[in-house]
Amino acid sequence: MEILQFGFMQRALVAATVIAAVAPLVGAFIVQRGQSLIGDGMGHMAFAGVGLAFLVGLNPLVGALALTAVAAVALARLTRVGVGGDLSLALIFYGGIAAGFFFSSRAGGGQNQVLSFLFGSPLNLGWDEVAAVTALAGAVVVIVIALYPQLVALAFDEAAARVAGVPTQGLVLALTVVVALVVVAGMSSIGLLLISAMMVIPVATAAQVASSYRATLLLASAIGAASAVIGLLVAFYANAPTGAAIVLVALGAYCATALTRLLAGSLQRASS
Amino acid sequence: MTAMADPSALEFDQVTFGYGRLPVLREASLRIAEGEFVAVVGPNGSGKTTLMRLGLGLLQPSHGVVRLFGADVSRFRDRWRLGYVPQRASAATSLPVSVAEVVRTGLAGQLRPGRRGTRRHRERLEHVLDLMGLAAVRRQRLSELSGGQQQRALIARALVTGPRLLVLDEPTTGVDAEARAILRESLEHLVTVEGIAVVYVSHDPEGFAGIADRVVEVRAGRLVRVDPQAPAPTSQSV
Repeated sequence: MEILQFGFMQRALVAATVIAAVAPLVGAFIVQRGQSLIGDGMGHMAFAGVGLAFLVGLNPLVGALALTAVAAVALARLTRVGVGGDLSLALIFYGGIAAGFFFSSRAGGGQNQVLSFLFGSPLNLGWDEVAAVTALAGAVVVIVIALYPQLVALAFDEAAARVAGVPTQGLVLALTVVVALVVVAGMSSIGLLLISAMMVIPVATAAQVASSYRATLLLASAIGAASAVIGLLVAFYANAPTGAAIVLVALGAYCATALTRLLAGSLQRASS
Repeated sequence: MTAMADPSALEFDQVTFGYGRLPVLREASLRIAEGEFVAVVGPNGSGKTTLMRLGLGLLQPSHGVVRLFGADVSRFRDRWRLGYVPQRASAATSLPVSVAEVVRTGLAGQLRPGRRGTRRHRERLEHVLDLMGLAAVRRQRLSELSGGQQQRALIARALVTGPRLLVLDEPTTGVDAEARAILRESLEHLVTVEGIAVVYVSHDPEGFAGIADRVVEVRAGRLVRVDPQAPAPTSQSV
């Protein structure tokens, strides 16, 4: 693989593969809870954070982390005080995109860089940024492993989990914060507008063939990682945008799996 | 007798609850002893599910007190003593989940972050899978099982901590006759052999006829005691 001789490609591969493998581990919980779009909401708020960071001269990662943390707490609070999940997410979503555009416009020269965060530009990463992405992804993995039994209980039946003694309110907040961490970790390699797709699409693909929840998580993680590697190669040789290529490869895997199952079902019915 | 000397499994003491200004339960009092099987009946919207949710601590009463094993429900910490079987519709999942995984979620409240189940937890898991006749299908997807098997998986989840109070919400909805018979047999075993208190919320008397010690009807937000053998409700106070 001659492209691996390029340092920028090595860094892109590490960052994109790590985050694409970790995103579905969190996505499995939000999909099961019917909150597939929460990553989008966090992505828009991270956009506001990046814009604000450019405006005040901070590291974009810090700005995105700060505003997504605020959004995570606000989302949990809004839901608790009776603003339905859909509406509270919409408030975060639109507030984020408006604030992001406002801040980045005020920042002037930072606009092009802001765009690179929206759609991802892993080829421009330095090793320090790769290390930051890996550290955030590592934190996500540690949290998911530590809270796995409680998160599964929450995802499948929140009321039953609460009766069983699971601290569901705190856990919902923890899950939202973890979603925010994935979004921030993925913004430079896959993009704020596309990272939530990597939380959802590999999970939807794995769910078609797995027989257990744990198997779904592990398979989805593998699909995410494979999509990142193939997507980067496609982007490199086709001179295409990397974040979009990665998501399109993941979507292709979903369609191929769905079609194969459909075909196999038809053949089975025809033979019986 | 005081609650401390003879704690009931579940007690409602003059409980009133409403959603906003709409009253749902009014001054409801009910005491369920350990090892007792109480059926709660009533038409849709009568308040029986609200009563159950108050009893589990999922709702807080506007007036009155709910006690679990003698303790105020808001301060009740021994959650392992509670088993809750929601309506089977809640078992509908977007993602695949095996029977063993569903049952194991019942233990989640007993585990500290970062800790996995102990040997005792694993033994409990095996015990309830056997008890509910699910050992052979433990690795199967929950969605591939019959309605009756899914219901038994939810009961197994509620039983995995070894609870002393089991609350079931419409457990026979969408379940065929054979599965109802198995469910009935399982509940009889739990009450008579394991001495578990059971609260059985249902509009279908077939599921509890002959096993319920008492039948309580929720009628327009008030509790009315019904003789379990009587064909039609009478209006005694509970």
